[in-house]
Amino acid sequence: MKYGLFLGCNTPAIRPDVERAIRVSMPKLDVELIDLEGYVCCPAFGTFPSTDEEAYLSVSGWNLSLAEKKGLDLLVECGSCYSSLSMGREHITHDEKKKARVNELLAPTGRTVEGKSKVRHITDVLYNEIGCEKITKTIGKQLDGLHAVIQYPCHTLFPHELVGFDSPPARPHILGNLVEALGAKVDHFSCEYTCCGGAGGFHRSSAIEAKTFAQRKLDAIKQETKAEIVVVSCITCLMHLDNVQKELNEGNGNYDLAVFDYNQLLALCMGFDPQQVASICAIPRDKIIARFS
Amino acid sequence: MPPNPLAQANHDLWKEVDESGELRYCFNCSTCISGCPASEANPPLLIRNLARMVILGLEDELLEEDTPWTCVTCSRCEEMCPQDVKPFELCLAIRRWQSQNDETRIPPSIVEIYHRGYTQAVEKNTEQRKSLGLPEKLPVLTEYPEELKKFQEMLMKNEVIKENDYMFKSGE
Repeated sequence: MKYGLFLGCNTPAIRPDVERAIRVSMPKLDVELIDLEGYVCCPAFGTFPSTDEEAYLSVSGWNLSLAEKKGLDLLVECGSCYSSLSMGREHITHDEKKKARVNELLAPTGRTVEGKSKVRHITDVLYNEIGCEKITKTIGKQLDGLHAVIQYPCHTLFPHELVGFDSPPARPHILGNLVEALGAKVDHFSCEYTCCGGAGGFHRSSAIEAKTFAQRKLDAIKQETKAEIVVVSCITCLMHLDNVQKELNEGNGNYDLAVFDYNQLLALCMGFDPQQVASICAIPRDKIIARFS
Repeated sequence: MPPNPLAQANHDLWKEVDESGELRYCFNCSTCISGCPASEANPPLLIRNLARMVILGLEDELLEEDTPWTCVTCSRCEEMCPQDVKPFELCLAIRRWQSQNDETRIPPSIVEIYHRGYTQAVEKNTEQRKSLGLPEKLPVLTEYPEELKKFQEMLMKNEVIKENDYMFKSGE
């Protein structure tokens, strides 16, 4: 299995330990990751998609053309990148007029786009292409009943016709099953399927309200579960749920839930160096990391 | 008599914002608001109200609205809308309409992307990357100056960017 790796910007720039975790864990599961030369912003919804549709689709087309030229599907962890690329691809593949215009714009750059390359989220590939059984067989260490809760990335759920791969789409379970494949116990709670609230302008424009929104989820986890960790598979969910706890603790909060990207846990279970695959965080992970020494 | 805002309404506004016309099917049920994180923002993002504003042609009010920019882009509203109005697409379409009618609405992030392909400084994080055993440099656009030039030329063909080209030149 080969995929074009689309890292986006937050992972390589702010949380490169997640990039390291992806780069070391996927080959162990026989997934070869190919870097794409000259890739650009997905583009994020707050950029060209909020300015002009033609500019949006030409930038999506630029990225898709890089994978298409190599005959690869794209592998994406970031929810926003996954959703923006999926929606951009949908416009290009299902609207001949838009496709023609994007190709007209791409032509002087020596690129073309047909929409042959699919956009795949990393949890889709882990669950539907690799499978939980193979994951359990490949890892060396198990999480031994460690209690976890899941943050399902909204961008992989809605709208399901465009981005969905869970089944049924509005009742996600895939990430939970993947975490169980590592030997963890997944706890359920009342706010399990709400958004993390971290993307877009909400947190920037209404810091107090956005913190309250996140706090409701964090309190539900504390009160209703035995979870010691939150598992995500989206760089925005990861950064937000980690950083917002620190922000709340600077007030009267007392939150200590370690937040992990799924591939970080996977890489740890495979025996990779915690310093390289899971060292960047706002809320300490020492207690969890100690289980692997 | 107080002025009637509807008397000055732009009845073609819905066509200007979204030519697909999906939003004519909205019956203001508020499903788009329930479950929307940004509906808890201050002021709240109330997509249903924005849809109404567009349909009624209240363009001055729409141009003043900051709330479309607080959307978290989760697209839950898109999933739940019983009329398939595509409220998230509407939210983006309103932002585009604002950007096209008021240059101060144009997100500065597109200028960063124009100059280096990204908003985050992906190409600068070399020391930390090295310490994690990663390749110091990623093959991002700034590594290929000729391709970056082609990328910029492609973007400059876009109307909104061309009309506001001063924004893109100042950073050079």
